[in-house]
Amino acid sequence: MIVIFFCLVAKASVESDLKNITSKLRCMTCQNQTIYSSDADFSKNIKKIVEEKLKNNESEKEIINYLIERYGEYIVFEPQMNIGNLFLWFFPFTILALCLVFFIFRIKKN
Amino acid sequence: MNKIILSIPIFIILIISIFLFIFLLQEKNPTKPPSALLNEELPKFSLVSLFDKTVTLSSLDVVNQITLINFFASWCAPCKVEHPLFFKIKKKYLNLFILGIDMQDTNKDAIEFLTTDGNPYDYVGVDEQGLVGVEFGVIGLPETFVVNKDGKIIYKYLGPLTDKIIEDEIEPLLQ
Repeated sequence: MIVIFFCLVAKASVESDLKNITSKLRCMTCQNQTIYSSDADFSKNIKKIVEEKLKNNESEKEIINYLIERYGEYIVFEPQMNIGNLFLWFFPFTILALCLVFFIFRIKKN
Repeated sequence: MNKIILSIPIFIILIISIFLFIFLLQEKNPTKPPSALLNEELPKFSLVSLFDKTVTLSSLDVVNQITLINFFASWCAPCKVEHPLFFKIKKKYLNLFILGIDMQDTNKDAIEFLTTDGNPYDYVGVDEQGLVGVEFGVIGLPETFVVNKDGKIIYKYLGPLTDKIIEDEIEPLLQ
């Protein structure tokens, strides 16, 4: 009975993690759909791979890195925080800071 | 100091314009999707032969030679369109190893297809679950890769090949 209970809990956990991870992934053969919401062959393959890796106790980060290594960063909706994307992450804040400096200066001048 | 601060908006617009210009200049060809595996090592794989279940080919067997890898399936119509071109390549480059990977197909249908249309491949491996396809970052069928003697992927093409693509893009890599 306890074994069945733990099996059910483990299954539910894998399903929940599968939904969480595949919702962050882009179906590369669809129009702006997540892997989770897509029924395309490509998405089915990725779901299968993610499920297998979850069953092998691989972490979300490991699974996403594995897919990025094969499909590139395009497969994830959110850009990764790395050197290549530093500009992407910090440019809006830089612009905001520059704008603030500019407006403060203008207000003081007026 | 005043001049520097007053030039901030111009500076911002200039930076944004430069990046927009770079973005517009980038090649946006749907047959050449971004591939993380380009110029990377050939992924590790092991493929059972379509014709003999006791024979297996691994990624280690294709190093030290230029290899053309083609992912196909009997149900894939564009694969049938490009299929005759592999005979032409094989005829021209006798030492080229052409590896066909039959993806998410039934063995019966694949054998029937290769019996009817001919088999240009030196080895046909079975990837029934599409797992080897994922290792190669395959998005859709057909997809073709060229692997150099060092075991690195130097070319990837998504979609059916044409005479022009083979002549312009693949043949220079096979010399």
